[in-house]
Amino acid sequence: MHFELDPELQAFREEVRAFVRDNLPEDMKARQMAAGSIFCSHDDERAWAKILAKKGWQVYSWPVELGGCGWNAMKSFVFEDELYKGFAPPLSFNTLHMIGPIIYKLGSQEQKDHFLPLMRHGDVSWAQGFSEPGSGSDLASLRTRADLVGDKYVINGQKIWTSGAHEADWGFFLVKTDTTCKPQLGMSFLLVDMKTPGITVRTIPQINNDEHHLCEVFLENVEVPAGNLIGEAGKGWTYAKMLLEGERTGSSYIFWNKREMRRLLDMARAEKLNGNPIAQDPAFRARLAAIQAELTALEWSVLRVLADEEFTYGTAAASSVLKVRGSELQHAITEAQVDLIGEKSLRVYSVHDLLSDAGTLWPDHVVNRTNMALLTRAATIFGGAKQVQKNIIAKAAFGL
Amino acid sequence: MDFNYSDMQQMLLDSAGKLIADTYTLEDIRHQRTIANGLNEKNWAQFAELGWLALPIPEDAGGLGCGLEDVVVLSTALGRGLAVEPYVSTVVVGGHIVGALADEDARNALLGQVATGAARIALAHGEPGERFGDGGARSTQAVPSGNGFALTGRKMLVLDAPSATHIIVSATLDDGSMGLFLAPRDASGISDESYALVDGAAASDLFLDGVQVDAGALIASGSAAETLLSEASDRAAIALMAQAVGAMEGCNDVSAEYIKERKQFGQPIGKFQALQHIMADMFVSTHQARSMVYYALAHLDASPEDRQAAVSAAKVLVGTAAQLVSRSGIQLHGGYGVTDEYIVSHYYRRLLALEKLFGDIDHHVRRLAVHMFDRADA
Repeated sequence: MHFELDPELQAFREEVRAFVRDNLPEDMKARQMAAGSIFCSHDDERAWAKILAKKGWQVYSWPVELGGCGWNAMKSFVFEDELYKGFAPPLSFNTLHMIGPIIYKLGSQEQKDHFLPLMRHGDVSWAQGFSEPGSGSDLASLRTRADLVGDKYVINGQKIWTSGAHEADWGFFLVKTDTTCKPQLGMSFLLVDMKTPGITVRTIPQINNDEHHLCEVFLENVEVPAGNLIGEAGKGWTYAKMLLEGERTGSSYIFWNKREMRRLLDMARAEKLNGNPIAQDPAFRARLAAIQAELTALEWSVLRVLADEEFTYGTAAASSVLKVRGSELQHAITEAQVDLIGEKSLRVYSVHDLLSDAGTLWPDHVVNRTNMALLTRAATIFGGAKQVQKNIIAKAAFGL
Repeated sequence: MDFNYSDMQQMLLDSAGKLIADTYTLEDIRHQRTIANGLNEKNWAQFAELGWLALPIPEDAGGLGCGLEDVVVLSTALGRGLAVEPYVSTVVVGGHIVGALADEDARNALLGQVATGAARIALAHGEPGERFGDGGARSTQAVPSGNGFALTGRKMLVLDAPSATHIIVSATLDDGSMGLFLAPRDASGISDESYALVDGAAASDLFLDGVQVDAGALIASGSAAETLLSEASDRAAIALMAQAVGAMEGCNDVSAEYIKERKQFGQPIGKFQALQHIMADMFVSTHQARSMVYYALAHLDASPEDRQAAVSAAKVLVGTAAQLVSRSGIQLHGGYGVTDEYIVSHYYRRLLALEKLFGDIDHHVRRLAVHMFDRADA
């Protein structure tokens, strides 16, 4: 048992910090500082990916021979921590942790040759088609089907909550290729060109009354070459589970939580209550101190997973803890940001507004705080609702 | 970073687990409160025999020279067993402060006695009218007298004093600074009112009336004494938080076992999702609490400010977790949870004590907030 970080990591941290300082375009940074979402615009994601690709950092988590950096978990942690700290656009979770690994682990040679270079250079964006109107937490119940007709799959059905589908080049869809067997055995992964005839994408207006990235995707007789199947037909469920198990700490949103906590503390120093900084108000101090303690616990629970602690109760329970507390913290932090600015939280800003658009009489830090708090309500819902995580924990930890 | 136990730590944990299983049954725990001075001599002798009392004591004083992380590993087992032996008072607090005694012979002799179980030490710091020693300068006075000092004052809630052989007394010196003094518990001029605590431990209020100590009894003064006390308190807090984690894990296990067996409406109540989610919440809190013990431990050698902030953040989170776990444990046990005959009520009482000792949640929330908002370098 020892808790020292490799001393080389401090030098690496400074290297990443300097890279962000020198290479992140000012306008891009300004947009991130104002919006602060866990998502960013399609254009910023692509442009930043290109900058990272030039440095060789775009697909850092991939195997070295495919363009990855070969960093261990702790080094990767420091890397992402610094990107968030510097208000860089979020990396593409799909490329790094979902469709990237699917293709390099399970894809055909043709798929690898085509897609891996595109992803490595930041030249392709993806939509993840898992959820359906009737299949949220209960993914096994999905109904979108793909029938093999000659050398093509014909897809019919509907996907929902498909982030960025309106701007994506490609989609990776979980579909039913066999309806006669147990649901988990009849699923397959298909790669779908989003320009294929028969695909209709509708963006879903969201709670923040503003631009949106969540979509519905309607698939009507969409013909996809059989060669777009990933791995074997009927193995989709197994592949999906494998992916989710491989990515153990992402659901904590630890880097985002840390950055937004820093923003929260800065706001507490700037906002006034009875003429004094709110940072001097006992009630707010106590509230923020309690959040800080939870945030620290989350970070150290992430480190325990990354350092491969041998849990007596299995890593699944430890990962679900990260999802439960990570999402609760996203709520706690954004709620506190809104409460800190009092009635100033009521003014509507566009997600495109910058801090400098606050308004003549308005402090910069109010811009988009309410937008973020509204959007963050989804944190305890997506990626396995909090209550589903608790079911997992009760079973894994106590056999209930 | 490596969060896994070393072979030695695993052995320590295994041997502790075995002793705890044999020696800390519900009957033993219920018997504890009938011991007048709070010390189960038989258990204490076992602690000594197994080398636990020697764990963090320096090797040249007859100890094993282990780090606080080993104490933490052992403490999780002690916490699970609801052991209220004066381990932290004697070994962690006493051992650390006595380690600063200038006279090497006297220092090694006393630490050697700690390691063999012959000596037990209690810290007499708190006074009436304050909480967690937050009252500033001590009212207890140390006046030069003969070749040493005369100590006069009142000390409140001196944990484990009834069974102690020595006490460490904080007192204000002539120059207004604080001194830490070592005195035999049975020194002339000390009277006491002793009582039991809610978890089966015992404490005393001590009345010092011109207690004569020689010059060598002054362990440290001024900023050195403040530093020593702060270090010892933070170490104690970490060891007690580790006990709390062990107690929470124990409480979770007995609660899960109970709801699997208890039947209502024709099925085990553990089948009900409402109760499963309570257990999941208990698990999440306990898991996070263990992370915070590691976090605090990792800051043991940081700057005093950073160490204190880390301990405070940990105390806030562990205390809050202890409350959720112990309260939920009772709820899951229904009416049986509020009886003395089910161990969950003992977990509740111990976790209450562990939350309060060395600063409760509110105390550490305030200290953490000072670190977050008021530090010049923040």
